[in-house]
Amino acid sequence: MIVTYNWLKEFVDFDYSPQELADRLTMAGLEVESTTAIGEGLDSVIVARLDSVERHPDADRLTVCSVNKGDEVVQVVCGATNHKSGDLVALAQPGSVLPGDFKIKKSKIRGQVSLGMLCSEKELGLSNEADGILILDPSSQVGMPVFDALQLKDTAFEIGLTPNRPDCLSLVGVAREVAAICGQPLRLPTIEISPAGEDISTACQVEIEDPQGCPRYAARMVRNVKIGPSPDWMVQRLESIGMRSINNVVDVTNYVMMELGHPLHAFDFRELSAGKIIVRRASEGESFVALDDSEHKLSREDLMICDGERPVAMAGVMGGQNSEVQDDTSCVLLEAAYFNPVSIRRTSKRHGLHTESSHRFERGADVDMVPVALDRAATLIAQLAGGQVANGVIDNYPAPLEKAEITLSAEKTGRLLGIYVDLSQIRRLLEGIGLTTATNKTDASGLIDVVVPSFRPDLEREVDLIEEIARLYGYDNIPVTMPLANLESQASKVELKYEEKLRNALVGCGFSEIINYSFVAPDAVKKLALAAEDPRLQSVRILNPLTEDQAVMRTSLVPSMLETLAKNLAYRTTDLHLFEMRPVFFAATDTTAGRQELHLATAMTGARDPFSWAGSDARVDFFDLKGVLEKLLDILGVQKVSFSAESPEPYLHPGKSARVKSGEALLGVIGEIHPEIQQEFDLDQPVYLFELNLDQVFALAGHRDAFFVPSKFPAVERDSALLIDEAVEAETVLQIARKNLGKLGQDAVIFDVYRGKGIPEGKKSLALRVRYGSTEKTLTEQEITKAHGRLVRSICHQLGAEIR
Amino acid sequence: MKDLLQKLEKDALAEIAGAESTAALQEIRVSFLGKKGAITDIMKGMRDLTPEERPVIGALVNRVKDTLEKAFSQQLTELQQAAVAARLASENIDVTLAGRQSFRGSLHPVTLVSREIVEIFGRLGFAVEEGPEIEQDFYNFEALNIPRDHPARDMQDTFYISDDVVLRTHTSPVQIRSMLKQQPPLRVIAPGTVYRRDSDLTHSPMFHQIEGFLVDKNVTFGDLKGILTHFLNNYFGQGLDVRFRPSFSPFTEPSAEVDIACVICNGKGCRVCSGTGWLEILGCGMIDPEVFKSVDYDAEQVSGFAFGMGLERIAMLKYGVSDLRLFFENDLRFLRQF
Repeated sequence: MIVTYNWLKEFVDFDYSPQELADRLTMAGLEVESTTAIGEGLDSVIVARLDSVERHPDADRLTVCSVNKGDEVVQVVCGATNHKSGDLVALAQPGSVLPGDFKIKKSKIRGQVSLGMLCSEKELGLSNEADGILILDPSSQVGMPVFDALQLKDTAFEIGLTPNRPDCLSLVGVAREVAAICGQPLRLPTIEISPAGEDISTACQVEIEDPQGCPRYAARMVRNVKIGPSPDWMVQRLESIGMRSINNVVDVTNYVMMELGHPLHAFDFRELSAGKIIVRRASEGESFVALDDSEHKLSREDLMICDGERPVAMAGVMGGQNSEVQDDTSCVLLEAAYFNPVSIRRTSKRHGLHTESSHRFERGADVDMVPVALDRAATLIAQLAGGQVANGVIDNYPAPLEKAEITLSAEKTGRLLGIYVDLSQIRRLLEGIGLTTATNKTDASGLIDVVVPSFRPDLEREVDLIEEIARLYGYDNIPVTMPLANLESQASKVELKYEEKLRNALVGCGFSEIINYSFVAPDAVKKLALAAEDPRLQSVRILNPLTEDQAVMRTSLVPSMLETLAKNLAYRTTDLHLFEMRPVFFAATDTTAGRQELHLATAMTGARDPFSWAGSDARVDFFDLKGVLEKLLDILGVQKVSFSAESPEPYLHPGKSARVKSGEALLGVIGEIHPEIQQEFDLDQPVYLFELNLDQVFALAGHRDAFFVPSKFPAVERDSALLIDEAVEAETVLQIARKNLGKLGQDAVIFDVYRGKGIPEGKKSLALRVRYGSTEKTLTEQEITKAHGRLVRSICHQLGAEIR
Repeated sequence: MKDLLQKLEKDALAEIAGAESTAALQEIRVSFLGKKGAITDIMKGMRDLTPEERPVIGALVNRVKDTLEKAFSQQLTELQQAAVAARLASENIDVTLAGRQSFRGSLHPVTLVSREIVEIFGRLGFAVEEGPEIEQDFYNFEALNIPRDHPARDMQDTFYISDDVVLRTHTSPVQIRSMLKQQPPLRVIAPGTVYRRDSDLTHSPMFHQIEGFLVDKNVTFGDLKGILTHFLNNYFGQGLDVRFRPSFSPFTEPSAEVDIACVICNGKGCRVCSGTGWLEILGCGMIDPEVFKSVDYDAEQVSGFAFGMGLERIAMLKYGVSDLRLFFENDLRFLRQF
């Protein structure tokens, strides 16, 4: 909603500067989002006197003028014909920027220097059209900025109104707030109507078939109007609040809507069949061409204004082409009505027609304003279009709406706000914004009865009034206190702690956290070459996505991770350690909402040691990432972690990928991206990645091994090289080793794998290291040799290995 | 014999002083003081001495031995020190070369901001709660006093999954879920991802909010001002100017928007605050009785307040990030700075 400083002054007297007014409105809940000084920047357009006007020596249609600026006389070439020597004119000096970003420069026109331009009203944005240049009143002061001379300087405020304040969708509404703020009375616009001629009721009948949808419908008739352009003051007013002038009659309906907040509609009466207005619901499938020139298929729920035969307006939303005011219209039927907000909102949504009118009706117009707005508009039409208001008025209001009556407690008000206010103060505050207050009917002390005027449909409950009191009392005046509460704390979920542990550990391992959109293109997950029955292909779809690229909720973090890697690689950031911990979504079968699962995707690519000057060019590999994963699971206390190479994911390298399990539970997958998928995502280097289902991981987390006292005796390590079949996995060897640790063995690891010279084809050499120790003594050579011999023998025996 | 010993002492001291390595020094020591060394040789002549001479010469032998041992140990220390000095002199590195670094990880700025805010409220006894991102219309709208045909629905452009299921447009449904689960008193802080159908320079279709609320007996609007002023001073700095101005939200009444003095220009007016000197930072209010009704709380018995803020906006102000899109581009050169 845009209002201007000068326009507000018509309705209330206040002393605030524009800046003060903006601050006051903002602090009263009418947030001024921007302030525009009208005419500012046009100070270089000044009043000047034409000392002489002569014909251009080389152009018949141009004149060369000596223009007196008061302190200087300059030459300006002008193409108009309505000016003569001695006239006062508007001179735009070089450097001025006129509306429409029209820059004025010093120029030469057909050989004659021109130091500026003599402006028309149109060029100054003061009217829609102009015959020649603007000739100013002879009493204007030469040298003064034109906007000052014309008293057109103003300030426009754009107010960001919240949906609960339809009463402020007008100049009078905002002025009412200003009046409450500064304690001055509100002046309403004057209505001087002098009707004559045949009574409206003889020519026109109004029937309301749906009083639920349309509780009140009023009409007036204006005869013998002459449609034409509006006078300049009207054009300027409308422009000052961002509206375009159309013609005198339509402008009046818009002007009154802006002034009083009540939408109006003007029909060309000769187009209304049988002189009738019927307010009814549309027939299903009925078609209607609105003023937006498009055809709308109506539904049974759309409330329509119809004549004797057909719809002529979509009630409260938009008029119809078939009855709009035209250049030769002479009899206007003016409508002012009150429509049900929900009905208007549904129709407006259904047809995608959001208008100034529907905006007001769906938020709640003022039913009592109906006759006032009607008469105000009729007055103005008669003034501007030379018509005659017909005798009589139609005002169909079968069941007057009841005003809300609310009982308010002073004690409760104070208790909720944390202030002390007494009833007299409350009454003063509420009456200041037009509410009526009275002593409570039951005479209970500390209570008052409040009657809410029809322009405040948002005030329905006691708490609504308490908010008004807080607003008028001033939020700034409410003292700051700290709540007193019992010392209790609720433990947050353990999963949140796990999330934090993981994040910290990942950052410690050098990974950067990324956040991608939860919605992706439907084909994003398809790029992973998943099997047709894979549940990840069943994504939740958004009905109204912004773009098809964001149409489904992701079921895996992998595609977005690969895209992020590719994007960074394209920026030549080639060594990447990234992770994303976010939910993925699956269509749920049992409820209508989706199922959400927390996932972690972690990826590595590039150099292992990119910051070194020592010439290491090693690249990260599967085991770098596996180490990170093992560390994370260890930190969380997930037990019995195993990696199995069976049935890998189709998007991973079949020979370099594994399923990650804890016992029988599948936690996720890890591996190198399949070369084809790598290419599909434009990744020009190998990428290692794991994705975990954290809901599953967290369910198995939290285990802690029993505490043990570290031994005071030194441990001893023994190494053995085992020649073994290529197919035997390291884990198999270690499992046998761990089973055979005996009393003295503490741990076994494989620290080298060797193939090549000296090793037969189909075999490999595994270097096994076992640690021995005792909490009671230092072990003897003999004891160690015996224990190690037994351990190695069981491996050789069970796996057909040989000691090298 | 006495002469011999004196000569030997003199020779030995000369040799010791001339030794250039610990190994050479060791050899010299053996040649003089060893079992088969020069002193032992001289000692063989002891038996030819008179009983009177013996103790004199004996004492002399001991003195020479003592002198030589001292000389040896002194020379040894010197040689060792020289060796260390020589090693240090030869071992030089360029200390300006880069240290051996591993990757420096980083948390997303949104995570950082969320953590800091949760921590401040955590100290005040607020517990973290979460809710689903695909949410039912009931929790996202209806229970929050935003009926289907209310213009307040236009305040949030919504992504729909079906007629009754949406991508949550705010973290406020967590209020409903928490209140349905527990009885007051309640102190909850709820960070989360939210979605709105809006995308331009200053709007992202997915972003993050943090919601907080407190329900107890006799909670006042003054308390709301107190808690939020405390928070803003903790987060942005003590003494920061804070103002509460009236606003509207369907699920709070009275409602307020909170502005802080612009952290960029200190309230003087700049591009970031559109010249107003104020930055809108969060929305809040007293929980509406309709909300209490939908979770079966008695609004005559309890009252409470709720607040919500956008994490990206706070991150932008905190870190001076000028472009919202940077948060979701995941450019490592950006992320690494946090």
